[in-house]
Formats: sequence, structure tokens, C-alpha cells
Amino acid sequence: MVTETVMSNPDGMKALGAAIAVGLTGFSSAYAEREIATAAIGAMAENEGLFGKGLIFVVIPETIVIFGLVVALMML
Amino acid sequence: MRLLQKFKRGKDSGSKGHTNYAYTIPRVRAMKSKLLKKEIYPRLMNMSIDEITRFIGESGYKDDVDELALTYDGVDLVEHSLNRNLSATFRKLLYISEGEVNFLIAEYLKEYDVWNIKTVLRGKYCKASTKEIKESLVAGGSLTYTFLSGLAVKEDYEDIISEFEGTEYYPILKRYDGTNLSDIENQLDKLYYSGLFHVAGSSKTKERKLFAKFIRSGIDIKNMMFLFRLKRSGINDPAMMELIIDGGLEIEVEDIKKMMPLSFEEFIREIEKYSYWKEISDIVHPDMRSLIDVETRLKKYRLKSAASFSHVYPISIVPIMDYIITKQNEVNNLRIIVRGKAANLDDETIKEQLVV
Repeated sequence: MVTETVMSNPDGMKALGAAIAVGLTGFSSAYAEREIATAAIGAMAENEGLFGKGLIFVVIPETIVIFGLVVALMML
Repeated sequence: MRLLQKFKRGKDSGSKGHTNYAYTIPRVRAMKSKLLKKEIYPRLMNMSIDEITRFIGESGYKDDVDELALTYDGVDLVEHSLNRNLSATFRKLLYISEGEVNFLIAEYLKEYDVWNIKTVLRGKYCKASTKEIKESLVAGGSLTYTFLSGLAVKEDYEDIISEFEGTEYYPILKRYDGTNLSDIENQLDKLYYSGLFHVAGSSKTKERKLFAKFIRSGIDIKNMMFLFRLKRSGINDPAMMELIIDGGLEIEVEDIKKMMPLSFEEFIREIEKYSYWKEISDIVHPDMRSLIDVETRLKKYRLKSAASFSHVYPISIVPIMDYIITKQNEVNNLRIIVRGKAANLDDETIKEQLVV
């Protein structure tokens, strides 16, 4: 019943698209950040001075989810 | 992807758990950046032994020098600090790695287990004191210092060998009768390499193929250095084939068999076809007196190729292998400098021996 309402209503389809855009990009950023953060922690364990650089590299994949968010907002 | 790698590795790969390359490799690279730069060596050459001790006591060897300064001094302090640091560093590699990478490092570092077993047996054979044997141990492999020093305390070799019951070393060690030490030592070395080949050849993952290539090029260099020494001394005895390690990357055992009866001059012509020749071509000639240059060049080539190989495959076992041999080389260089200075060798002779 709910599925039919969503499919027949254009607003429902938009919401679904927005959810996919944010959801998938969220997963992708998380996956990329996991690997980079692991590497950054490894390097920082040996050299604490790499904290700043490490932090910057860890947050770079965050742009992926921001793009997803922007697309989702444009859709809604 | 990881599932695919797991499938390729097969059931008897020996590795356990998730392989943490993402953590291990940056950490190892950071460790490598702390090693002594090549510009440091000329400075060390101008220092006295006490100054060198102070210098390494302020670098990565601080904890070791501080710890051992109460017991030793002078050259012995440097030597023991270097050994202690080497074993601590390699144990750290085993501690920070997991899964496939940990398994491959452990297999590679069995070199130290073999070394320590040989040290203990040799010590007992020469009737060295427990203290002397303990001082010569480098517990860089999977056998702990506690276990090894326990062996050093034992009175006779039968008690030592019985401690290895159930391990892969036992079938070889039980053949030791108190006299055939050199034979047992050779067999232990061969066991180490056959173990490495079993590991490298048991699956087709990228890591294992790279690992195999790295090991095999190392064998080529070892065999070549051995052949140079044999040929320079004019030894053509086919029985020497026993001492050749099988499985080289370019130089196969069959090729070495053909080289064995050759003279030094013919041997030089024969090795011209291998890629290693371009590294040594300018210093090798039939009248050469010393092989130090050749050995230094080949070692340098090994270090250089490991470093460039590690840039080609940054997320693999190679950067870790590169670190291991670079660290071993640093320790060797420092040892050469302090021992050379203690023996009053002139700077030129010491410099010739260094692999920088």
C-alpha cells in the first residue's frame, strides 16, 4: 500500500532518489575514510607530527557525501 | 575483492584474520623514515666510538643504549644495543601486523630463529659460557628471548634438541650427534628456504607472488656472492653444489652446475648474460684481488631494487620487506664502523665495507 503511494506520487519518487543519493554516497565516504583513517593512525603511531596532515586526508572523502547531499537537496 | 583473495589463498595458507595493510604499511614507512640517512655515515666516520655511542643513544636506539649502558661500555654497548634494537623492531613488525602480512613476515623472520638455534648449538659445541651465548642471540623471529635464553642455560645439546620436539626443526636437529654441526646448519638453512618457497608457492595471490619474487632475487644474490668467493679461490669441487640455495629468480641450479667447473675468467663471461651484470660490470675483471666491492655493489643493488619495487607495489608485502633489509643494513653499517674503529682500521677500509 505504502509502496504504491510512493510510486504513484512524484514527491515520493524524489524522496526515494534523494535517499539513495545520500545513502550510497554516505557508504562510499565511510568506506574510503575507514582505509585512510587506518593508514593515518598507523603513521601517527610512529610520528605524532603527522596528526594535522592525517586529519586532512581522512576528511577528504567527506566531499563525496556532500555531493550526494547537494544532489538530494536539489531534487527535493 | 577480499573474499576473492581469501578464496585464492586456500585453506592451508597459514594466515589468520584480516590483513591490515592499510595500517601496517604507513606505520612501516614512518619507521623507515626514522632510519639513518646516508649523509649521516660520513659524519659517523669522523667520530670516536664514544661519540658514536652518544649519537646513536640520541637517535632511534635511545632505549636500548639507556637500558644496556649499566652493563656494557664502548664497542660492546653499541653492538648489544644494535642487536637488542633489531630484535625489538622485528618483533614490533610481527606485533603490528595481522593476517596474511603477519604470516609472511613471520615466515621471513624465521631466518633469526634458524640463526639463534645455530648460535646456541655452536655455543655449546665450542663450550662457550651461557652469558656469551645469550649475548649473541638476536630474538627477531617467532622464538622469544626467554625461550632461547632457557636453551642457553641447558648443559648439553640433547636437552636443547628435545625442547624443539614437535616443531619443524626437530627432524633435522635430532640427527645432530655432537660432531656434524656444519651439516645440521646447512640443513637448517635449506629448511628455512624451502619453507619460504612452500609459503610463496602455495597460493596465487598477488602478495605471495611478490613475496616469491623478492625471496628469489635475494637467493640469486646470495648464490652469486658464494660463487664469486668459490671461483676467486679457484674451487671447482662439485660437492660445493650442496651449499647452493635452490630457487633463484634468474640463476637456476642447472646454470650453477654448469658454472661450477669453470675458471674465474670463464665464470665472469658466463654471468654477463644475467641482469645483475650491469651493476658490477665496471668493477669485475679477471685480475681483481678483493671481492669486497662486488659484494657491496650486489647488496646495494638489492636495497635499491627493494626500494624501487616498494614504490611500484605500495600496498603489498614489498615495502615491509624493504624496511626489513634496510634496517638490517643500517645495523650492519653501524657495526662495521664501530668494530672497524675499535680495530684501528683506516677510514678508507671501513668505507669500502659500508653499503650506503
